[in-house]
Amino acid sequence: MKNLLSLVLLLSLVFSQSKVTIDNEEIDMNQNEAIVEVLGMVCSMCAFGIEEGFSKEEFVDKSKFSNGVLVDIDAKFVQLGLKKSSSVNPEAIYNVIQDAGYEVKKLYILKENQLTKYNVGKLNILEKELKENTPENIL
Amino acid sequence: MFRRLILLLFLISNLSAHPVIFKNGKVFWLTQNPTYNDLRFGISKTSNWYIGFRLLEDRKEEKTFALMNNNILAKRWNNENSQANLYLLSSVGLNTKSSKVMSTVGVHGDWENRRFMVMEMLEYYSYNDSLVSNTRLAFSPFTVDYSKISTWLIAHYRVSYEDKNASEMFIPVLRIFKRNYLFEFGSNGKDSFVTFMIHY
Repeated sequence: MKNLLSLVLLLSLVFSQSKVTIDNEEIDMNQNEAIVEVLGMVCSMCAFGIEEGFSKEEFVDKSKFSNGVLVDIDAKFVQLGLKKSSSVNPEAIYNVIQDAGYEVKKLYILKENQLTKYNVGKLNILEKELKENTPENIL
Repeated sequence: MFRRLILLLFLISNLSAHPVIFKNGKVFWLTQNPTYNDLRFGISKTSNWYIGFRLLEDRKEEKTFALMNNNILAKRWNNENSQANLYLLSSVGLNTKSSKVMSTVGVHGDWENRRFMVMEMLEYYSYNDSLVSNTRLAFSPFTVDYSKISTWLIAHYRVSYEDKNASEMFIPVLRIFKRNYLFEFGSNGKDSFVTFMIHY
């Protein structure tokens, strides 16, 4: 019985996580998180505007990371904690980056065991590239 | 001399960081040297447009200027590992005692990545009919994480064209900043200044 419980716990942990590759680096991503690859974010003061923008958004879970936001300038991405209860509009994430003066390269959202990846298309709008919801696609 | 020092303050305070920041981002900015106090406060109404107030005080001459800044980000190139910008700058204001109008117009271009920065700014000043060219080449000896202190070494070269004469000046500058706080110190043995800035 103990072994069975351990197995269930392990599987639930494994299936609640995912990894995305950014700048040749694998980034761990948990349930209710988003990762945004940002073009042009090359300094702390650039990143501060992005952090400020997200910290004011309702859908951001402030209990995760630092006020809901983790910034990596070297790999040029921002990781967000997302509230379980709120639905996330990818356009809202995109707008925060734009209001800070930068551009989204790619956006990943992991919610309800679904990892969704968005690219920015030629018309400068977000395009859903693929939707993975099968267990074998979630590491 | 007075005019040159005023010009120096203009160029230094305009060159400290991006002239436009994030939407609804506010800037508080203080520059002080043995002669002047220079205080600024402003807001980026959008990611392309900054408007702010500036109070410039010459303590020795007991003159104060009240100015309004209006900066526009005309174009930004956001690249994979770098960023480049083109800004249009303007300011207009008064000598608070004589009420004489003073205005400037300028263009500012820069390129930067995690290690290097190049900047050129040209500004025209109406009150003395001068054109000033400012060039900055900067190098960061090490790159650091967002939460740590970033250090930049800057070579600042300025040429001022006034009354058919050109005067030039070189100042080495040390810039350190962490997240939204910036501090700069520069000196060439003759002229020196300190700047503190915060974005919030």
